[in-house]
Amino acid sequence: MSSLLSRLLLFFAASLLVDAAAYGAAQYGPLPAGVILVKGAWSSAAGASSPLPEDGKMSSGRYDNAYFGLGYAVGSNWTQRYEGPPPSDSGYYVLAQIEPQNPALDPSMGHILIAAQDLFFTLAPARSASELVSYYQQHLGAEYRVERDPIKVRIADRDFVRLDYLSAVAGLHWHVLATEIRCHVVQFVFTGSSPKSMERLVEGMKTMIQPTVSPPVCLKDFATPDTVLEREEPVFSQLRFNPVAVRIVIDQEGRVRHIHFLSAFPEQAKNISDALLQWRFKPYLLDGQPVEVETGLLFGRSARPSAAALR
Amino acid sequence: MKKLLAIASMLLFSAALAFPGNVLAQTDPGVRGGPINGQPGATQGGPLPLASVNANAPTGILEFFDNGLGRFQEQEVVSGGVNNGLGPRFNLNSCSGCHAQPAVGGSSPPSNPEFQVIAQGIASGSTNTLPSFITAHGPTLEVRFPFFTNSNGGPNRSAPNGGVENLFTVSDRPDAGSCNLQQPNFQQAQQSNNIIFRIPTPTFGLGLIENIDDSTLLANQQAQAANNFGIAGAFNRNGNDGTIARFGWKAQNKSLLVFAGEAYNVEMGITNEMFSQERPLPQEEQGNGLPSNCLNLSGRGYPEDATNFNVAPNSDQAAQNAQVPSDVVLFAEFMRLLAPPVPSTNTPGGAQSIASGFALFKAIGCSTCHTPAIRATQPSNVTASLGNVTVRAFSDFEIHHMGNGLADNVSQGGAGGDQFRTAPLWGLGQRIFFLHDGRTTNLLSAIADHRSNGSEATQVAENFSSLSNGQQQQVLNFLRSL
Repeated sequence: MSSLLSRLLLFFAASLLVDAAAYGAAQYGPLPAGVILVKGAWSSAAGASSPLPEDGKMSSGRYDNAYFGLGYAVGSNWTQRYEGPPPSDSGYYVLAQIEPQNPALDPSMGHILIAAQDLFFTLAPARSASELVSYYQQHLGAEYRVERDPIKVRIADRDFVRLDYLSAVAGLHWHVLATEIRCHVVQFVFTGSSPKSMERLVEGMKTMIQPTVSPPVCLKDFATPDTVLEREEPVFSQLRFNPVAVRIVIDQEGRVRHIHFLSAFPEQAKNISDALLQWRFKPYLLDGQPVEVETGLLFGRSARPSAAALR
Repeated sequence: MKKLLAIASMLLFSAALAFPGNVLAQTDPGVRGGPINGQPGATQGGPLPLASVNANAPTGILEFFDNGLGRFQEQEVVSGGVNNGLGPRFNLNSCSGCHAQPAVGGSSPPSNPEFQVIAQGIASGSTNTLPSFITAHGPTLEVRFPFFTNSNGGPNRSAPNGGVENLFTVSDRPDAGSCNLQQPNFQQAQQSNNIIFRIPTPTFGLGLIENIDDSTLLANQQAQAANNFGIAGAFNRNGNDGTIARFGWKAQNKSLLVFAGEAYNVEMGITNEMFSQERPLPQEEQGNGLPSNCLNLSGRGYPEDATNFNVAPNSDQAAQNAQVPSDVVLFAEFMRLLAPPVPSTNTPGGAQSIASGFALFKAIGCSTCHTPAIRATQPSNVTASLGNVTVRAFSDFEIHHMGNGLADNVSQGGAGGDQFRTAPLWGLGQRIFFLHDGRTTNLLSAIADHRSNGSEATQVAENFSSLSNGQQQQVLNFLRSL
């Protein structure tokens, strides 16, 4: 018995040593190449676990995003070679960058960008997919020609706004299809030299899976003196000037259940989440029943002071 | 012999049939010849100032530019010379050594002056070893270690560093007394991959960049938000007042004066009115700083570069005035008053190719970050050429995520390890080395390196790839025309 115990103890001690060595190697060994170890303002989350917009995945020719409830089967000959950047402090997401497995086989296949713009934090003066697409159109440079003015289309039982344009000099076409989900404009941008091939990809959107679970009600500027019953201001230990865009989910009882930092330095995220978890909201009622609410808050320096604030 | 030639011709012909793309492939035209900076009259040692400066308006300003140009080229020593204060650690002994291509004020030259530092006795070979990454015709480099090291020399990932590790010490120079310092352990840093490089940024036209109001940059950012290329940048804001910083590879420096003062201190070890203490290495700073026998080596006290209060009277009042400011003030004036490069309208490839290349550059999305023109600078209280003009720098002066392929894991101000300021492209046609670490001399490689995991530029690089060889050549011709 004592022999078995000694062996167990020896094994346990050896495991600790191996773990310590592995930890040391990870902590002090050569730095891995091609890894972003020092991050600036970055996305993160606190509170209860919940899907995030940037957590979508491309696998086996199919893009799935639990936050937006999307499932888009592009085809097995498509892949994502390079992931996008983290969300911006103005709420822009590169969700997926999809390209052919072997572009050399058919260069005209083009490529697909799936992006999202959080309507709570957008730099563009837009409150909807329609307004955002119109903003795109207004800002198209002289090198582009509109092939199809923004038009409402219905795909997979969902309203989209579609804009097609072309660069004649590059021989490239863009088909932009934008829809609103959870106060974001989710955009499918098809780029390529063959409108026919691109149209096939648009057709493929018809099989897109739609949200199965009702997401929280999204409300812009929900946090007002009327709705915030208890409020603790975050205290920042370091002077920074970046805007910190935050999405929160408030439960039926008015407590902050989930916090998503689109772009924050770690100490900012810590201080803000410490404060937000103490906030208490007046429950939001829908048809007389309290429901979960998703809203946006901007801490730190505002990226764009409102015109009123400047007066 | 004729038979051999015939066989060779047949083989080449067959290769052309089999791999037409390769034979007709687009190529970087290389460094553009012709007038330096596209400005007739400019020479390697004599870059041109802005037009109003050249016209000496306001009176005396040309003297400040010329004096600044002279000081930019001065060779510094430790003590006992005309220009003192070098070290105790340094990368080179003059500004113009590194800022040299295609003229004084520019970027890394074809022959690396750092390679000659020991051979020329600027650093003693008995106490200094030439690091292996400093090569005769490679870029001039500044070195940083992303992380501090533990006692075994391995990088400690919980202790970010990122400060400059100077290449050389003044130890054993006859004018450096008993100061005895070791070089950083570059070999160990290389073995642990804990090392990154930066090349000098060109300084032509910087006065225009300095004179853009924040509101103009913010308006440009808002306009560029309407893109379908996956791009959304941010600004690196100055930690003191929150305004937009805009100089340096990560837009970490607010003004030309800060830029000059920091470089004088960090690259040459010369204290000045902006940075008035000798600079130890980052790891030394965490300990006891520099040893006392490495302080005040010039014997003149601090700062080593200071305002010249006692300038000898001169019948030329303007010349006398220009002698009064410290070196860093005149470095800043020199950079502020340097004219921006002038693009060629027909070289390389001809006017039509360049024009088409510019149109393609915009169409595929390069101009979303590399904004061709920002309108316009603030009114200037310095000289007319700096005020109310369009800045054709091809930059938005934002910092963008450039992905794991370019990340250097150095954070500066609000910029993280993978964020870089959009490099201004004006003058690109006559630059030799590209990207922050000078890793390539080939524009095609530089473009390809814009694509990696986490980069905002991947879609644009994809668009470039989707162009025909001929179209890509036009883009390259356009870029080399700048």
